[in-house]
Amino acid sequence: MKRLFCAIAIFLGAGAVSAQSLSDVTGAAIDAHILPRFERLATDAQQLANVAQDNCDAASPALRAAYGTAFDAWVGVSHLRFGPTEHDDRAFALAFWPDSRGVTPRSLLSLIADEDPIGLDADAYADVSIAARGFYALEFLLYDDAALAAGDAAYRCALVQTVTADIAALASAIDADWRGTYAADMRAPSQTGHYRTQEEAAQELFKAVSTGLEFLGDTRLGRPLGTFDRPRPTRAEVWRSGRSAHHVALSLAAIGELAQILAAGDAQVSDVVADGFARAQARVAQLDDPVFAGVTDPSGRFAIEVLKQSIDAIRATVRNDLGPKLGVVAGFNALDGD
Amino acid sequence: MTSRRQFLAGLLATGLAPTPTWADAGSPQFVAAAALPDGSYVLCGIGAGDAIVFQIPLPARGHAAAAHPTRPEAVAFARRPGTFATVIDCASGLQKSTMTAPRGRHFYGHGAFSADGDWLLTTENDFEAGQGRIGVWDVRAGYTRAGEFASGGIGPHEIKRMGDSDIFVVANGGIDTHPDSGRTKLNIATMAPNLAYLHDGLVVETVALAPDMHKNSIRHLDVADGQVAFGMQWQGDGDPAVLAGLHRQGQPIVPLAASADHMRAMRGYVGSIAFSRAGDQVAVTSPVGGVTQVFDVATNALSHQIVAVDAGGVAARGAGFIISNGQGQLGQIAQGQLQLGARAPLAWDNHIVPVGA
Repeated sequence: MKRLFCAIAIFLGAGAVSAQSLSDVTGAAIDAHILPRFERLATDAQQLANVAQDNCDAASPALRAAYGTAFDAWVGVSHLRFGPTEHDDRAFALAFWPDSRGVTPRSLLSLIADEDPIGLDADAYADVSIAARGFYALEFLLYDDAALAAGDAAYRCALVQTVTADIAALASAIDADWRGTYAADMRAPSQTGHYRTQEEAAQELFKAVSTGLEFLGDTRLGRPLGTFDRPRPTRAEVWRSGRSAHHVALSLAAIGELAQILAAGDAQVSDVVADGFARAQARVAQLDDPVFAGVTDPSGRFAIEVLKQSIDAIRATVRNDLGPKLGVVAGFNALDGD
Repeated sequence: MTSRRQFLAGLLATGLAPTPTWADAGSPQFVAAAALPDGSYVLCGIGAGDAIVFQIPLPARGHAAAAHPTRPEAVAFARRPGTFATVIDCASGLQKSTMTAPRGRHFYGHGAFSADGDWLLTTENDFEAGQGRIGVWDVRAGYTRAGEFASGGIGPHEIKRMGDSDIFVVANGGIDTHPDSGRTKLNIATMAPNLAYLHDGLVVETVALAPDMHKNSIRHLDVADGQVAFGMQWQGDGDPAVLAGLHRQGQPIVPLAASADHMRAMRGYVGSIAFSRAGDQVAVTSPVGGVTQVFDVATNALSHQIVAVDAGGVAARGAGFIISNGQGQLGQIAQGQLQLGARAPLAWDNHIVPVGA
């Protein structure tokens, strides 16, 4: 709360940057961050689908490697939740997580048990529950012991091909929309476009940073941490494939890259932002706990809590330093909903 | 010198006092939760001249409150997904009791009393099932849990009593959350909000928006003359066509729409909604957009848009409205003009609740 009062004071005291430099910032974010990352996702997802066509055995090293590469690409854009990712709920279909009630396992195991023909048809698969689609569903099919032993092996194999083809189609559609008109709309705000002013476009990017950090701290780390009395290691993201901490590192790198672009032109803000992300990255690197299993023992838990605090510290920096630079007021009621 | 409040508190302690009324609480006209600069949280009573007539500590961030229809008691609810509600004796300025959500439930931040004041209804989440529940609390038995029933949807937020009846209307926002992932929204792609009318523990009517509006989360309510005004929060991409509406039981929803520019100014977010005393106007706040809009009920058209930075709370006052903001200010809206008062050293939180309405 003290910080909020400070944020208001800072905003009133310091002028935000000009429309011209906001336009440069948005252009740099699109060219150096958004477009290359969505292109990579589309390419890697297509590669994953191709590999699955050749070899859909869940234990296949080539398939698991392609899964890892494409999933990395998704995590690298998972903070960019606006425009093309939200059209037709594409991002929800690519990434149904957290799954607090186990809908992904239930949906997939029932498809397998019934040998439901929809699991054999990539085009029709867009109509199944989003819990059975995307990267988190694929992880369950490739790494969960129950899934690996369930039903008919040939059906499971075909289902992997279907899910990967659906992922590729979604990634390709997002990339196409960004290249088609969305990037141009964002670059050149107009009365009839998605963004009317440079300020609105810059605020969208700022929101991507702040909500991305919130998800990172509260969900990617907060879920396994649970409470001290009841830590929840199996609520960690993608623990089955051993990627939980890896996702935190990838997401920090991606959000940090965007934050750095938004901070450009203000050496002081740029320095504190860079410093905050570097500290958090150093803590992930030191952790040596790929699935946050340490949440259950005091010393392991302490290290993960310290990591979470370092992310909370970045959130404060972003709100108090980066926001005012971009002309974003962080009001008490405006900040975080009801 | 003994203050009036201390004197009353002493009387209450000896059991000699007559039944206290709202006048004994310094006659607050509104109650509202707030955050203090030291990071602590309080519930405040707001009296004549916008004076803060009492300020009572809360264990964590509050949201809205429910004022008892006759006795000077208010219940301050934790912000979602909190599990406490604090019952406050506004005459003595003391905490009377604490309500704790049962295991497997959390509060959503709102509640409403029955017409006789004997029961308190609270919006709650059965988070393992992902279903909205209405908790029923026995006021005479010291705010103990008496039971619960279905809210008629997912994510119930505000609940209001319909006039002097015991029909309640609840805004089922449609958004599924689970405390294991904080406030993360779990079902935006499939959310289906509705407005539900409840009587005697049963859902007697529900009304939903058109399917293309299924991402418009119905969250805030006010009631006047059998008519419900509701405010929404848009979870889709871009700007919604409408963020507020009117409804009467048995009839279709009437949208309170405005031009694309005005809709855009709200940034897809309604923080609070209130009818004017005469029921002829409806005000909606958007702290996110930094504006408050006033609609004419007779024509369903926008009358005024007022710049109101970080204003969350709104309630009827005089011929217009009182609003509260995150900078510790209260303000009066009359004929499309906002007159802001002095800053108190606190941040008003989201809602301002009329007392003894």
